[in-house]
Amino acid sequence: MKNRLRVLRAEREWSQAELADRLSVSRQTVNAVETGRYEPSLGLAFRLAHLFGVSIEEIFEPDAPPLP
Amino acid sequence: MPTTHAAVRMTANPIVPGIVWGVTYVAARLALELSLSPRLRLLIALAPIVPFVFALVGVVRGIRSMDELHRRVHLEALVLAFPLTLLLIMTLGLLELAIGLSPDDWSYRHILPFLIVFYAFGLWRAWKRYL
Repeated sequence: MKNRLRVLRAEREWSQAELADRLSVSRQTVNAVETGRYEPSLGLAFRLAHLFGVSIEEIFEPDAPPLP
Repeated sequence: MPTTHAAVRMTANPIVPGIVWGVTYVAARLALELSLSPRLRLLIALAPIVPFVFALVGVVRGIRSMDELHRRVHLEALVLAFPLTLLLIMTLGLLELAIGLSPDDWSYRHILPFLIVFYAFGLWRAWKRYL
């Protein structure tokens, strides 16, 4: 799953550690999500969306198109 | 409200009781080499249980304080360590039937270090995957 997390974070000039603090997660978790190595839970995805003021779909893009 | 990183990592809770447990275990292991009364030997053999319980409580609290990725890493470590432990016990059990194993070479006390190694290997493997 691709994501725009790094771009959104850079736009706000936040470090990974700063974003991690705002989300109450570890910096490793932010890094793993950014690099696509870890797909966050729905709860964390909602927290990210809320924090950046966008919808989840604007952050995460599935590899395969949704089923009809 | 933002929190510090420390709030989502394994806290230091299990470390001190874990060390106390390890020291108690090694001390008990060495003490049981001595010629002591059966009652004292029984007490020494059961002594590591108390610090282990404190360490276990610390580990559970630590896991609860972690974020979702850290919990997942520990889950994946368990998923690897548990079957490896089953494999080890199964193999030793069958070997015991097949060729007979000396308790001096293989017994419960020899399995313990393997459990720690299996879990550490599982942690390393899981972290390698996500970092």
